[in-house]
Amino acid sequence: MDSSWMTSDTMRTVLFLTVALPGTGFLLLALSWLVGIQLPEKVVARATGLIYSAAALCVALGAWLIRAAHLPSLHADYGDWFRVGEYAFKFELYFDGVSLPLLGLTTVLTGLVAAFSRTYMHREPGFLRFFLLLHLFGFGATLGFAAGSFDLLVGGWELVGLSSVLLISYFFERQGPVTSALRVFATYRSADVGLLVGIFALHHFRHSAALPALDAHTLDPQQATIVGLLLLLASMGKAAQIPFSGWLPRAMEGPTPSSAIFYGAISVHLGAYLLLRARPLLESSPVALGAVALVGLATALHGVFVGRVCPDAKTSLAYAAVTQLGLIFFEIAMGWTTLALLHILGHSTIRTLQFLRAPSMLHEYHRIHAAAGGHVEGGGLSLEAALPFPLRRRLYWFAVDRAHLDRLLDSVAVRPLSRLSAWLVGIDQKLGGGPPTGPGPQLVAPAMTAAMPEQVDVLHD
Amino acid sequence: MKTASHHPAHGLEHIVEHLAHLLPAQGPIGVFIHHNTLHAFQHLPFDEAVQSAARLYGNEPYMTEAAYRRDFDRGRITVGDLDVVLGWEADEPIIPFLLDRRALRRAVLLAPPALDDAAEISWWLAEGGVSSQRRQLFDACRRLFRAPAVNSAAPAHKAATPPAVRAIIDPLMIRLCGAFLDQGVAYWPMPDRQHGFLAAVRTLFETTRAVEPLPGLAAELARQRRHHWTALQTVEEMLRRLDIDVAAQEEFLRDELLALGGWAGMFYRLQEEPYLAPHERVPCSLMEYLAVRLTLVACAPRNEAVEAPAAGAEAAELVMTSALFTAADALGYRISDLEAFSRENRERFQREVLAFHPIERRRVWHVAYEYHHERDVLRPIAERLHKRGRRPVAGTPKAQVFFCIDEREESIRRHLEELDPRVETLGAAGFFGVAMDYAGIDDPHGVSLCPVVVKPQHAIREQPVAEHADLHERRRALRRLWSQFAQGALKSSRTLWLGWISTAILGLFSMFPLLIRILAPRRYGQLMARLNDLFLPEPRTEVTLMRNDEHGHHLSEGLVLGFTVAEKVDRVASVLAPAGLMTRFSRLVVVLGHGSTSLNNPHESAHDCGACGGRRGGPNARLFAAMANHPDVRLALRDRGIMIPADTWFVGGYHDTSSDEVDLYDLEQMPRDHDAELAELRATLDRARAANAHERARRFESADNAHNPKQGLEHVEARAEHLAEPRPEYGHCTNAVCVVGRRELTRGLFLDRRYFLVSYDPATDTQGQYLTRLMSAVGPVCGGISLEYYFSFVDNQRYGCGTKLPHNITGLVGVMDGHSSDLRTGLPLQMVEIHEPVRILFVVETSAEQLALTISSIPFVEEVARNCWVRFAAVDPETSQISILRPWGFELYQPEPGETPRAPSSFQWYAGHRAHLPVAEIEMAGAR
Repeated sequence: MDSSWMTSDTMRTVLFLTVALPGTGFLLLALSWLVGIQLPEKVVARATGLIYSAAALCVALGAWLIRAAHLPSLHADYGDWFRVGEYAFKFELYFDGVSLPLLGLTTVLTGLVAAFSRTYMHREPGFLRFFLLLHLFGFGATLGFAAGSFDLLVGGWELVGLSSVLLISYFFERQGPVTSALRVFATYRSADVGLLVGIFALHHFRHSAALPALDAHTLDPQQATIVGLLLLLASMGKAAQIPFSGWLPRAMEGPTPSSAIFYGAISVHLGAYLLLRARPLLESSPVALGAVALVGLATALHGVFVGRVCPDAKTSLAYAAVTQLGLIFFEIAMGWTTLALLHILGHSTIRTLQFLRAPSMLHEYHRIHAAAGGHVEGGGLSLEAALPFPLRRRLYWFAVDRAHLDRLLDSVAVRPLSRLSAWLVGIDQKLGGGPPTGPGPQLVAPAMTAAMPEQVDVLHD
Repeated sequence: MKTASHHPAHGLEHIVEHLAHLLPAQGPIGVFIHHNTLHAFQHLPFDEAVQSAARLYGNEPYMTEAAYRRDFDRGRITVGDLDVVLGWEADEPIIPFLLDRRALRRAVLLAPPALDDAAEISWWLAEGGVSSQRRQLFDACRRLFRAPAVNSAAPAHKAATPPAVRAIIDPLMIRLCGAFLDQGVAYWPMPDRQHGFLAAVRTLFETTRAVEPLPGLAAELARQRRHHWTALQTVEEMLRRLDIDVAAQEEFLRDELLALGGWAGMFYRLQEEPYLAPHERVPCSLMEYLAVRLTLVACAPRNEAVEAPAAGAEAAELVMTSALFTAADALGYRISDLEAFSRENRERFQREVLAFHPIERRRVWHVAYEYHHERDVLRPIAERLHKRGRRPVAGTPKAQVFFCIDEREESIRRHLEELDPRVETLGAAGFFGVAMDYAGIDDPHGVSLCPVVVKPQHAIREQPVAEHADLHERRRALRRLWSQFAQGALKSSRTLWLGWISTAILGLFSMFPLLIRILAPRRYGQLMARLNDLFLPEPRTEVTLMRNDEHGHHLSEGLVLGFTVAEKVDRVASVLAPAGLMTRFSRLVVVLGHGSTSLNNPHESAHDCGACGGRRGGPNARLFAAMANHPDVRLALRDRGIMIPADTWFVGGYHDTSSDEVDLYDLEQMPRDHDAELAELRATLDRARAANAHERARRFESADNAHNPKQGLEHVEARAEHLAEPRPEYGHCTNAVCVVGRRELTRGLFLDRRYFLVSYDPATDTQGQYLTRLMSAVGPVCGGISLEYYFSFVDNQRYGCGTKLPHNITGLVGVMDGHSSDLRTGLPLQMVEIHEPVRILFVVETSAEQLALTISSIPFVEEVARNCWVRFAAVDPETSQISILRPWGFELYQPEPGETPRAPSSFQWYAGHRAHLPVAEIEMAGAR
């Protein structure tokens, strides 16, 4: 083996490609669409397959190179993106035992989901749009996992959120998906405040948000508590932890494969990843650690109970995912980071498969039922059976209503905010001008009519 | 909870009972029965029915006008068709000597369509680059024609629940219904649901400190409980509380039921037929559903109502002017012409133009569309009758193969005859006369294998043969074990502790199935089949068919076990005699039932055999063959003129219409001297199914790499095994025609998988009793399929269930869009996308008089025929005349010029084409 192969330059290039390839895929698709080229389904699917296979290979190769060079990690600086006064926004990537497995997982699963979608989305009028968003997601996720600083991580984080919301509203000709997407978007935005403020705080306290430099002594306990709690808020939104968990079932409006990759696999785990990265900070703040553990445990319990009463395939899977995400949070709080990482990997994989197979639930139950000879015992421990009946009933309603969390959010956040905005609009109008009045959903109407011909054509061609 | 049985003739009950018929009639999705989506309107003539349904549900009655116009542009509808169709309708002068109704309608249909959206018209006037001449004409129309006075005092829809309230209660209702109807997905079932929906909901909020979804709901439910109100009383009370007066009740209740029609319909279906519930029989009652819903409506907070902006009178006038302008423009009128008309004439012109509104135009387009289709169907048949003559098989065929009448079997029948012209194929409804309650060795309990209108009287149980009893026991034990494991795997990942282990430690292992199933689905299927053979070998079995002892009636669930000889004779004769197969039996007769296998497909059952009640018909074929091989049965059949030679052997089998696999059963019982013939037929069948797969693949856009039969077969096999495949097969998507007659009428014709083919020999049916029996089975099955496809196609989003891609199975009873929607009924887009929405055309080989008699003797057929939900034509076996049934009676078919195209083989006719193909004569070696 030629040792020049092992130069850090090669490593840097190879690893850069893991992020650049999905990004290029997105750019190429977007550009071809912009200039009006109607790429055939097959070309899109082939290109996607190629890109993610190559990206997965790059991850493997990069990991091998780092290992061969006996490095614990690699921090690659690709120069400044921009400078403002003292501050330089560095494009820096960081590869270690946490980001590399997750990058591998992302590229492999996204590639698989793309292969699945090639058949599943065949003949869909929005085929190109779906793949475009899938690439945007792929780029966002790889960027998020590979980011060498919180500054850059935000970029990936937001791209994942954006593509997630756009895919939930994929069937925008119906009202339901649009409403749900809006709710998810609002949830993301509220929780993301934590990420942005947290990073500002980090810059304020330490003048840097680079990942490798983080250690237990970076911040004093108060500072660590502030930053830790803010980051926790952000990860709670992304990972559908209490009290935000209500958005996850709503996210099931999109096509099945996007539900799989986002809410079974990568997107929700991005929240856990953030905490995994912030772990050194958390260590100096028992308060933040306690909060993470508490949120995780409460969410796990919440997910279990709500999941027990869900009669539909996808919501049931959504709450199953919530449960495990809660446990992952707990593991991180307890400092079992390796277990947490393993848990993320295993959970993503099994959940992807389960989501992709969700439409065969009927088939599966029927087979199990027949093989069991006609009678299937209820599975799992029936914790609730031990409770007195009135309490059990109350708990049942509590679970069916998803712990009343949506109701709670509506009354403490949604309604006051819309009242506030109505009030502001009123003031604006009194001052003359102002935005056009009318309920929000009407904004959707032009998009709906624009979509109609597309739909009709499919039907009657 | 019973609904007020002490008030038998209660008005509200009647209303609800009546309204229940407006709800979708689809049962739990695991068993999909094709039926007329608008069954509630079947007593009305088709056009009236689809249009009133359109007004009631807000659905489309026909395809869009644009779609018909596209068909016109590509020649699928011609000017000639329009002229014929317009000629059928009453004509009337509009402007004496200048214009009559037909000329006006013709001109309007042939001209570009009128814009019918006010905004679009304004835009067109402002930006559309309209010539000044046409603009002046438009302005003249606006000036000369006044909008007819509209009754502006139409009462506002006061009783309706405002959309804002709906948005609150619908998700709640969906949550509650889902939990109540769940068949075992949630492992914590709704408490108290065994007492009914209303009781369960009341119990739910009984505890004092329950968080209410709506203010005052718990108190209201407690009050109901205290008064022991029945569902009916609750509905009455809530109507009172909502201040709905008696006159408005029906409309109000209708709106409330239709708001979530799929869920309400499921309640009603399970109320009427509780045995349809796949696993858990929950006591459903539509009245209780309504009671819960109205209670929620009554408790929902009502904010100040948002006034919906009334459609401007100005806009309506603009639309009217546009229609008049388009008509005038199409007729070539100038302003001076319009001005020259007397006021009276002008008013008549206006009335006529407005009477030919978009729906009416679409109706005429549709009739023309179907008329064209009718010509395309009858021309080749007439040509056969008059020019070429029939094509019987010379001598006794080498083998006879019975298939289901299903139009998907048309192609494999054709290929079989094409590959070996000495093989004859026949078609009989796929339950082969054997209506039974059947349980295979792997089934936990019996299911009905017969058309849904028939209730089976006989139970048939599959058992392992004595020497394989051990094997069966072992297999059963292993399957139990597997089921526990599979259930554990399914559920464990959703629990806390087990889930921790199964996801964190074992989760990564699911990468293997994930990779193989997505990247090599066919390999995965083969691997699984191999593992199954290795670990779960199937024992040889027999069916408990023999009931020789008349006294040995073994009663199981009100069914008798097995069939007596006399019963067997009846069943065998019921298939052979109508098909005219009385004497000329070949040495081998194969009977193939059918079904369809696909993965990840909640609508899988919709591809199964309709004549077997949406299930797979293999056991029926197997049983039929066993009966026909029985010596006593054969002896008794001789009395009925059915002479089965001693050296004829029947073989039952199964054809999978998705993977195109063909299985033959009980071959070890066959006399060994048939081995050589069977081997030859098996080889031909294998070639035929590959050719069939290849022909099917031509329809799939993603199958462009299937260049030969082998690749075609591989392609469809992969489809059946692919997790991501929303179109495992196109199902009945191409259904259009049903031919009831001898195979000679259609043998060698390329019918493009669009024809149901029922073997019927008028020569053996002197009294017409066979025809009646056939039509009473075939009519509802084919009619139901045709109409379900029609409606799911013309309005896929509302009559159908939209695209499959966001579907989410709930409670094992149906699918929702996403996490919370109405239960979606009807067929998904992926199942109907290549359909041509024509009402099915029955072409029956009998005299017009006999056909009329037969139709009038079967109530269902009579109704759909009288009301034009299906079409009929009679091919007279004596005179070779074709008579077409029109609303006003039979009309003789007039031959038209043109000749049916010829092709050397099916392959050469369809190669390179993806769309529907016209009928062609396929030259068959030795057929003449």
